[in-house]
Amino acid sequence: MTEEKTDTPTMVPMTDTELLAARVRLPQHVVHRSFVSETVVLNLRTGKYHGLNPTAGKMLEALESADTVAAAVPALASGYGLEQQRIRDDLLALTRGLLGRGLIVTADGGTG
Amino acid sequence: MAALAERSPDGAEAEHRRTGFGLALSIDPRISIAGLGDADDLTAGERRSRVRLDDGELEDRWQTLSGTPLRARELRSDGVLLLSVDFDEHAGYLMWALDHGRVLISPDGLELLCEPDPVNEDWASILAAQALPLAATVRGLEVMHASGVVLDGRALLFAGPPGAGKSSLAAALVSDGAQLLSDDAVALQLRQRGLLAHAGSVVLQLRSTEQQRLPEDRRARLGSPLRSFTGKHRYMGPSVPAAAPLAALFLLERSSEQPVLERLPAVNPFELIGSTFNLSVRTPARLQRQLDVASAIASGELAHRLRVQPGVDATQLARVVREHQTRSPAS
Repeated sequence: MTEEKTDTPTMVPMTDTELLAARVRLPQHVVHRSFVSETVVLNLRTGKYHGLNPTAGKMLEALESADTVAAAVPALASGYGLEQQRIRDDLLALTRGLLGRGLIVTADGGTG
Repeated sequence: MAALAERSPDGAEAEHRRTGFGLALSIDPRISIAGLGDADDLTAGERRSRVRLDDGELEDRWQTLSGTPLRARELRSDGVLLLSVDFDEHAGYLMWALDHGRVLISPDGLELLCEPDPVNEDWASILAAQALPLAATVRGLEVMHASGVVLDGRALLFAGPPGAGKSSLAAALVSDGAQLLSDDAVALQLRQRGLLAHAGSVVLQLRSTEQQRLPEDRRARLGSPLRSFTGKHRYMGPSVPAAAPLAALFLLERSSEQPVLERLPAVNPFELIGSTFNLSVRTPARLQRQLDVASAIASGELAHRLRVQPGVDATQLARVVREHQTRSPAS
């Protein structure tokens, strides 16, 4: 079976509440490496690279290890000395961006 | 000149065992590739890539493909096609080079089937210049588009755009006692602790202006002169260095300033990825390795910027590099 080579999978919209409660992970065909200037995310199926600034790179790492998107918020807020609401908004926007490009999936395999 | 050749039981001359770009090679004795290492450098039991002449098989294999091959790469100059690489997942990479012929590289890199251009006696130069680096990439090494030398047991690589002075700088260092790894492509092997640089072909090509800048006594250290090729002077290095740990990658850049050398702690990862060779190999394993090698260079703080004025004397640059290396602790 031929694998679909796309970075823009069909999205099923999720509300903020649903997304905050979801667990996300990187699919096997996506790898990332952190550099001082940015984090490079590579989709091995398509060969497409994506760059994340250092803040977004930290958020991706936090998302990978957290049980839910919401669970990643307190440590990030504490680390950056910012209000949780602001971090939550940024994290939701980033999560949607990554889901939309197929760079992360929700734990049930969905793309958000 | 006296010659000693190994023979197979049927009396034919046995295949030549060589190393290059981190590969163990077994080469048809009718094919001469200058500047490769001796077989003694090998890791015991390593599988060899076989380089052999085609007897009609190449065309048969390529004409019976089940699908249309992918044009993976084209290199043109003034609109003239100089080199192309087509890929088929079962047959491999078919490389064609103007006035050189074709080479079919198997998908696992273990076989290079050569169909030479019959009128070009230098046809085999395409093997060291393009086909072996591609085979090395397929076999798990990452080849940098860079010149390189071994200095005090450490490998130094020089990458940059065409005409940036990669070969001239390598030549200046070699004329001052370093050993040449390659003047155009160096294979890197990712290890648990850092990167190991393997020699390619130790044939150095120099433009006349650069050659003439080197005093006679230093020019003699470049090795044996070979016949000039595409207007460049060629020298075969006196020896092929053993693989050495990568100590620094210098990214050359044109500048109006005096030579400036600085470490790049925040190197742009895409500049490192863009300095690799054989971008036509796009398998998932290769893409990940390419990123891992860039990551190893960055995290090891091996990347440096070397800003160079156009026309600067390469011996002056070599002195800057040497002084920098003297101050840098061995890792």
